[in-house]
Amino acid sequence: MGESKLDLLQGTLDLMVMQTLAALGALHGYGIARRIEQVSGDKVLLNQGTIYASLVRLQHRGWISAEWGVSDNNRKAKFYSITKRGRKQLAEDAAYWERLSGVMGRVMAMGGEGGNK
Amino acid sequence: MRHLRAWLIRLAGTFRKERLDAELSAELESHLQMHIEDNLRAGMTPDEARRGALMKLGGVEQAKESYRERGRLPSLESVRQDLHYTARTLAMRPGFAIAAVLTLAVGIGATTAVFSVVDRVLFRSLPYPEDERLVSFGVKAPFEGIEFMLAPEYAVLRGRQNPFESMTTLTPGGSDCDITEQNPVRLNCAVVESTFLSTFGIRTIRGRDFLTGDDRPGAPPVAVISYGLWRSRFGGDPKVVGRELSVNGKPLEVIGVLPAGFEMPNLAKVDMLLPQVLDEAALDRSNPRVLLRAFARLKPGVTIEQATAQLQPWFQDSLRFVPPQFRAEVSLRVRSLRDRQTADSRVGAWVLLGAVVTVFLLACVNVMNLLLARAAGRRRELAVRAALGASRARLVRQALTESLVLAILGGVAGWAFAYALLKVFLAIAPDGIARLEQASLDLRVLLFCLGVSLLAAVLFGSTPALNEPAAEWLAGRASSTTARGWFRQGLVAVQIAFSLMLLAGAGMLLRSLWKLQNVPIGLETQHVVTAQVSLAQHRYTDNARQLAFFEDLETRLARIPGGGVLALSDTLPPSGGMQATFFASIEVPGRPRSAQGTGGMVGWRMVTPSYFDALRIPIVHGRGFAEADRAPTEQPVVLSEALAARLFPGQDPCGRMMRFTAFDRQGPWRTVVGVAGNVKNNGLSAEGDPEFYIPWKNDAETYVGRGFAIFRTSLSETSIVSWTRSQIAEIDPLVPVEFATMNTRVEKLAARPRFNAVLLGTFAAMAVVLAALGVYGVVSFYVSQRTREIGVRMALGATSTGISRMVLLSMLRWTIVGTMVGLAGAWFGAELMESLLFGIRPHDPMFPLVALGILVAVALLAAWIPAYRASRVDPMVVLRYE
Repeated sequence: MGESKLDLLQGTLDLMVMQTLAALGALHGYGIARRIEQVSGDKVLLNQGTIYASLVRLQHRGWISAEWGVSDNNRKAKFYSITKRGRKQLAEDAAYWERLSGVMGRVMAMGGEGGNK
Repeated sequence: MRHLRAWLIRLAGTFRKERLDAELSAELESHLQMHIEDNLRAGMTPDEARRGALMKLGGVEQAKESYRERGRLPSLESVRQDLHYTARTLAMRPGFAIAAVLTLAVGIGATTAVFSVVDRVLFRSLPYPEDERLVSFGVKAPFEGIEFMLAPEYAVLRGRQNPFESMTTLTPGGSDCDITEQNPVRLNCAVVESTFLSTFGIRTIRGRDFLTGDDRPGAPPVAVISYGLWRSRFGGDPKVVGRELSVNGKPLEVIGVLPAGFEMPNLAKVDMLLPQVLDEAALDRSNPRVLLRAFARLKPGVTIEQATAQLQPWFQDSLRFVPPQFRAEVSLRVRSLRDRQTADSRVGAWVLLGAVVTVFLLACVNVMNLLLARAAGRRRELAVRAALGASRARLVRQALTESLVLAILGGVAGWAFAYALLKVFLAIAPDGIARLEQASLDLRVLLFCLGVSLLAAVLFGSTPALNEPAAEWLAGRASSTTARGWFRQGLVAVQIAFSLMLLAGAGMLLRSLWKLQNVPIGLETQHVVTAQVSLAQHRYTDNARQLAFFEDLETRLARIPGGGVLALSDTLPPSGGMQATFFASIEVPGRPRSAQGTGGMVGWRMVTPSYFDALRIPIVHGRGFAEADRAPTEQPVVLSEALAARLFPGQDPCGRMMRFTAFDRQGPWRTVVGVAGNVKNNGLSAEGDPEFYIPWKNDAETYVGRGFAIFRTSLSETSIVSWTRSQIAEIDPLVPVEFATMNTRVEKLAARPRFNAVLLGTFAAMAVVLAALGVYGVVSFYVSQRTREIGVRMALGATSTGISRMVLLSMLRWTIVGTMVGLAGAWFGAELMESLLFGIRPHDPMFPLVALGILVAVALLAAWIPAYRASRVDPMVVLRYE
């Protein structure tokens, strides 16, 4: 199960990265990691380094783009932003997750009822 | 689509590794810095801040690693790594790399060169569509080596059911055709039936093919010209069709052009195809005069055996016209076209291929040994790599990469070697080996070369890679090699076996050649120059003109400057091609004609009286010819010893009478005046046919289109040649003359065996060298592995000679095995080669034994060097080294 679990986690990580960029605009790697930590409460991010694998994957698929720039503290950093294709993908994925969580919720609830009988 | 894009970016990433890595490092660094700053602002100490940031990041290296996995193609990476590593290790030990590549170059190059030659003989399809259905068929008779058809019988067959989709014929001998307009040129023409091109599936690239109408007597003369002639004479004119050409004094129309790669089924070089035009007389069954070569395309699905069976009824019917006593010696023959073209080259080709494959295997074995020796030396390194986490597959892959690189380098060098070798082959090759001049290094041969290189890589690469790295190798101690020792020694035994077989074979061919070149011919070839004069039929249309020419020629040439002997003859020994008749057609008064069979062939020549003197053929009985014998009334004949013994066994032939039939005319009764010594008249290896001589007379009875002038003279060849040319030119400047010394003519007959012997000898020499190198390598390695043991022995009292003896004895066992196998192989091989041998028994033990002696001597020498080194080992030095 190890490989697929990693894939699943990576998939969700990708989604979170895209969401973050869609919400906050252009951001560097550290900023994205920080934000995800804040939002998910350190649950998803095993370590911040995995962000970079995610970023590269998203870049390859053309959903985000990257550019070197300067941060607030005058530090050189690579800034990522979501592309139009990425936004479309985000919308699709978000809809999928909603449907999935809805169904899972109903299935889980049904299991509980069944147990009572 | 997304995945393809991603994959392509990753591929690009592999090639921009450094830049991307640098970028990532910079990005991670800035990530850390920002985190540290945040931590500092949150109140941590600098140390805590840094540690916290690092821990949160999860390790820079891991981040880089996970990035790399995603950012590039790891598999390509590792291949690149392997290649880089291979290049480095090979560069570190250039001696090894050069030795391996050179050995491979020799093996692969020789194999490629030989393949390009034998491919066309043995394997490659003929340049006709569906060539496997093409056959040559006809009647096989004792006086004619190749099957033939009589024109009337062929016409009958055409009219009947037959197993062929289409049939065609050509007239053997082609014809001289000279272009007789401006820029006269002598060409080669083939005379073919109108179905010729369609049977072979050849389409003209311009104009049209022959039609049946073109074959009818009285049809307007037409011709199809070759591609070469079209380009050279007509300059590739696109409107060549319809143009007129004056050939042999008559105009004909060009109706088509043949494609560039066109080949005649009898491999003759032709410039033009002319229609056959057989008239009524040619088709007269009771008086068959015209001989044809017949070819056909079998109907789909019909085999040669079936075709032969289906033709039997026709064949039996045609035998009606053959005199009964000859019928047993005449048979029907149908064989594939390829068979007809390559029958005499095939055995030689297989032997050659076998020899070169042997050399190739020996080369691979040597490289295998080199690699094994090196692998033993790199045990420690392999063990370290294994301990550091390299999987077995990875190590094997790396070893295979190395083999592959060596093989490819060897293949490239081999290609260059093959190129040179092919040039040498073509330079020394004799005529008559089918298609030899077409051999070239083309795409098919290139693919073969690549295939062979890969095979080599697999052969010698797989063995060293299969060794499992053992933990004890880490200690760096040289462990004993007995486990793999027998394998390597076995390999060398194989090398010795094959070298023995090759050597024995080469020895047999060389001895055959020597015997052939020294076989007594029956005449003296020194100081004899010959000139072949051919009279073109369209210019010397009747006997009178021909005779006038030769009379004039004889008068002029008899005045050889500086003295000497001149003779004329219509044919020349020792090659065949003389006039012949059946023994059964020779009549002796008072004796009944033999009823059984033809009695074999008897040759005859027309010669001037000085013939026997010019060639120094001994007259063993009676006398030769005198000038008086050339008078029209005289009919003398000189028999060869063999013929005299057959015609008049145990009696004195002089004064007896005989007559023979030639050209369907019975000759006059002739008186035997003398007996001449036997002369080889059918090539060097065949037993000569019995023959007789009649005097060269300038009378209306003789028909001479071609003759030989023979000079026995002390003049140099060049002077005689130029003088004769000038004399002939004064008679007729357009008559072609070919000169050759008698020595050259005889040598040419031995050309093919010489070629075979030289080639096989060369390969045998290569094999011996490779085997010697193999022995040297194995014994060296054996010594190097046992240095400590030798040191201990010497410390315990062993002498230098004792040590040498120990080393030499160690190689004895598998040398014996190798020679046993080799002797057995040589025994079988001799039988395969039998048709190439002359004058020696194939199972003559002298050859394998001599080969054995040579190999043993060479192996001992090769082993002696490391044995000597072993005996020089200083025990003190060796024992101290830990």
